[in-house]
Amino acid sequence: MTITRDDASAAFFDGTARGVLLLRRCDDCGRRSAPRTLTCPACHSARLAWEPARGTGTLASWTVVHHRPAGGVPAPRTVAGLVQLDEGPWLHARIDGIDPSGLRAGLPLTVAFDRPLDGEAVPVFQSAD
Amino acid sequence: MAGTLIAARRPVIAGLGITEMGRVYGRSAEDFAAAAVRLAVADAGLDLSDVDGLLTNAGLVGGVGLGLQRRLQLRDLSVLSEIQSYGASAGAMVSYAAMAVQAGMANAVVCVFADTPLREGLGSSAAYSRPRPAVGFDGQSRHAGLTSVSARYALAARRHMAAYGTTSEHLGAIAVAQRAWAAGNPLAQMREPITLADHQASRWIAEPLRLLDCCLVSNGGVAVLVTSAERAAHLPQPPVHILGWAQSHPGYPDAGESSFGLESGAARSGPAALKMAGVGLSDVTVAELYDCYTFTVLLSLEDYGFCAKGEGGPFAASGALAPKSSLAFNTGGGQLSSYYMWGMTPLSEAVIQARGHGGERQAPRNDVILVSGNGGILDHHSTLVLSPYASG
Repeated sequence: MTITRDDASAAFFDGTARGVLLLRRCDDCGRRSAPRTLTCPACHSARLAWEPARGTGTLASWTVVHHRPAGGVPAPRTVAGLVQLDEGPWLHARIDGIDPSGLRAGLPLTVAFDRPLDGEAVPVFQSAD
Repeated sequence: MAGTLIAARRPVIAGLGITEMGRVYGRSAEDFAAAAVRLAVADAGLDLSDVDGLLTNAGLVGGVGLGLQRRLQLRDLSVLSEIQSYGASAGAMVSYAAMAVQAGMANAVVCVFADTPLREGLGSSAAYSRPRPAVGFDGQSRHAGLTSVSARYALAARRHMAAYGTTSEHLGAIAVAQRAWAAGNPLAQMREPITLADHQASRWIAEPLRLLDCCLVSNGGVAVLVTSAERAAHLPQPPVHILGWAQSHPGYPDAGESSFGLESGAARSGPAALKMAGVGLSDVTVAELYDCYTFTVLLSLEDYGFCAKGEGGPFAASGALAPKSSLAFNTGGGQLSSYYMWGMTPLSEAVIQARGHGGERQAPRNDVILVSGNGGILDHHSTLVLSPYASG
């Protein structure tokens, strides 16, 4: 899947290109929020700066998505995670390298970057162990 | 000088129109909407010339909106708007129509939803997981695997499971109970009984949701006509009194303190609507709960207070949702088994039950009927309290 940037995500994908996961940090109250955030969830300030995340978090929820089988090939599966970063914000990210039977809430995760040939680099998460 | 706001004008639903439904091709969403409006107006014993208000709600494919006035040659409308809060729209439209009638803005307001998500030759799942460019932060979510509404509800369901021990079998009990109700509904598309084993054998869509946890997808349209009790007294159908209404839109933050998957807008809109109606939850005898997924029902049961938080699974597994229970839930089979018309599915069945027209599936007691609507990924919630009687 090729991911393209838009104006709102340009700075975020500049970060992923450098191997940095960026979060928003409120200039007024200091609250960290998710990359797509435009208004501080704590104080409603619109003055949000970009700040590198530690890149660690835990699994808040997940789903094993079963794609449609095609051409006799077994249906591929994707583990989609709702990752709670250690700073608090949530991020949707693919979970790589963990068998679905090993998934549990609170599982420690660390960021990696999927770098497809086309499009933007995208954060994915792997087991921190 | 005294104004014209008449607090005592009591709003009722006096007309219901349900078009041909399901895999019906070759008609646009506006075609279905126009047909549904005509059916609702005729059901109310009125003519299109009597309609002075129109509220529209477009579905996935759009195309249902202000143009419906011209399509139906409606003159001098005093209320006309497009409403959108996804699955909560039906409840929202009825509440706005009720307020317009109460305020004397309009006397006969039709609320309509129609959609044609099904395409000939394509499966149901194609409708709500259409390919689109992966751009920006939405692209990030799609890259994660969240390319369908089902996958996003699966995240919600899994969070509830992790917090409370809810299981796939708990969800299955909801699917089985609703199919049993659907057997008595001639409008239902899926009437063959299913067992918990059938549910457990149905393929995964997005774990923990299986095929039988997911609603149908239908082409069609549904409309209701809202007027005053005074007017309805001279119309053919038994009036369905709109006693209470409320909405709640949680605005879940993208962060750990979010109650996403753990609590829905039913927790706020339920008590607010019941309070307006002057009834308590224990007075509710029929509940038509929005059921885009089995999990939506489970969460709504908890949030309305039909069982304790976290007990939705065991409550469903106890058989409480099956026909012949003292409190009747999703009596038409719901979106899981009858037809998927967003919030018009629970609303249309509630009207049928309130009129006592449920045939072999008629709930024995229909005094107080709670109707829920749910839109987005649990983002939008509406509650209506309906009754055959002018007060609960």
